[in-house]
Amino acid sequence: MTLLEAAAALRRRETSSAELTAAALQRIERLNPSTNAMQTVMAEAARERAKQADQELARGEDHGPLHGIPVAVKDLFYTKGVRTTGGSSLFADYIPDHDAAVVESLCAGGAVLLGKTGMHELAYGITSSNPHFGAIRNPWDRDRIPGGSSGGSGAAVAGGMVSMAMGSDTGGSIRIPASFCGVVGLKPTYGRVSRYGAMPLGFSLDHMGPLTRSVRDAGAVLNVIAGYDRRDETSSRRPVENYVPEIEPSIRGLRIGLPENFYFERLDPDVEAAVRAACQSAESRGAEIVLLRVPDIAALNTVARVILLAEASALLGPHLEQRDRFGPDVLALLDQGRLVPATDYVNAQRLRRVMQGEFAGLWSRVDCLFTPTTPITAPRIGETATAISSQSEDVRLAATRLVRAINPLGLPALSIPCGADRRGLPIGLQIVGPPYAEALILRVAQALLPAEVAVPRL
Amino acid sequence: MSNDRKKDWKKIARANGLAIPDAALERIAQSLDALEADFRPLVRALPPETEPATVFHAEDPE
Repeated sequence: MTLLEAAAALRRRETSSAELTAAALQRIERLNPSTNAMQTVMAEAARERAKQADQELARGEDHGPLHGIPVAVKDLFYTKGVRTTGGSSLFADYIPDHDAAVVESLCAGGAVLLGKTGMHELAYGITSSNPHFGAIRNPWDRDRIPGGSSGGSGAAVAGGMVSMAMGSDTGGSIRIPASFCGVVGLKPTYGRVSRYGAMPLGFSLDHMGPLTRSVRDAGAVLNVIAGYDRRDETSSRRPVENYVPEIEPSIRGLRIGLPENFYFERLDPDVEAAVRAACQSAESRGAEIVLLRVPDIAALNTVARVILLAEASALLGPHLEQRDRFGPDVLALLDQGRLVPATDYVNAQRLRRVMQGEFAGLWSRVDCLFTPTTPITAPRIGETATAISSQSEDVRLAATRLVRAINPLGLPALSIPCGADRRGLPIGLQIVGPPYAEALILRVAQALLPAEVAVPRL
Repeated sequence: MSNDRKKDWKKIARANGLAIPDAALERIAQSLDALEADFRPLVRALPPETEPATVFHAEDPE
């Protein structure tokens, strides 16, 4: 059941928040041992909050579509009085004294916070095979990774434990798990959702957004979490729109850009076929597919990597005296970051400006872009290299290759499932829009995916 | 910054007082070299008037 379906059922008195919460807790109890999606389950607090939500709704106090709905947040969002680890042994016992802005908004919207989802250590990676808290497993095939770093959120939503889990995205960490787990993942424009109270990784690249089982659900969550927050210096004062698309929106006349360079150069053939089929589907609904060349995405990926290496190491460097507290992959990245000179960081931020200008020119020619989210489907746990078109590629670099460049541009982007590969694993379509065009990309996504995502039988 | 010689990461780490074990430096050297090779040409093409995309307000926007 999607979030909005549950919300409608609540208001028809067909169910209660207490029943929804109990069912979610039962599902977690059954599936978490084999997926490890949930890091912390707040069962008692959730039951209490659900009871309260039912009482509020009964007396006509309705806080909106999230009221009484069980949700989860990635374990890097501060939760007052509840452990927030960031997937790191450094913060294994850290209990914040305040909520993240996103958590405040969800609670003000009446949501029932069921718990915290597991993640890649410090959000710095894409496997979610966490050396301190165990590997998170993909509900579609538990020998495979869910993607990351918001891997627990992807697995919890795909596994039906919650209809929405919040994630964060610094180089693809919402969209990659959405692609690998076959759910909807929305990375809003930089500045649209407050970063306050979310453990940072790359200050200028971090974005917060939901993973859901339908496109309309993602819009409904964005309605609640978007908006200006003075505690986040990069927060935008631009007014918030209604982001929930119509059930059957029109995309007639929309110009959808399909890149001729970079994005289709090295892909699993099943991924390419599914994304091209999605383009045909959009065309059959009256959209115009515009073939075009995009600016140098490889260069943008390089710029994003330099920025992230420097920002993450600046942030976490003081902890590096305790080298045994880090997993080997994260430690290697943090060591690399300490060797990036300050001049490179400044120049990367200058290049970012240049490329922002180059990319801005695209939006006079098209309304949005279609690309694959990831060139591959979910790899096996422990795989460090993947073969694409007979070429071996590092799994982390492959998984981030088509998504990372969007972060330094700060553009809104989402991933929706658009088919499955020969093994039945989900394939993701990435839709990218101009700044603050969340409503538009959600409308396009809804036209292609009007129903709940397909879910694995568990 | 303008030459194309490979950097000696061990010497740089030592000069900066970074306690990174040699074995760890050997493991990351290839990644750093590859990043250098990709990044250096981009920097050379930067127009001098381009300012960095940093966020700072001399006054609280509130």
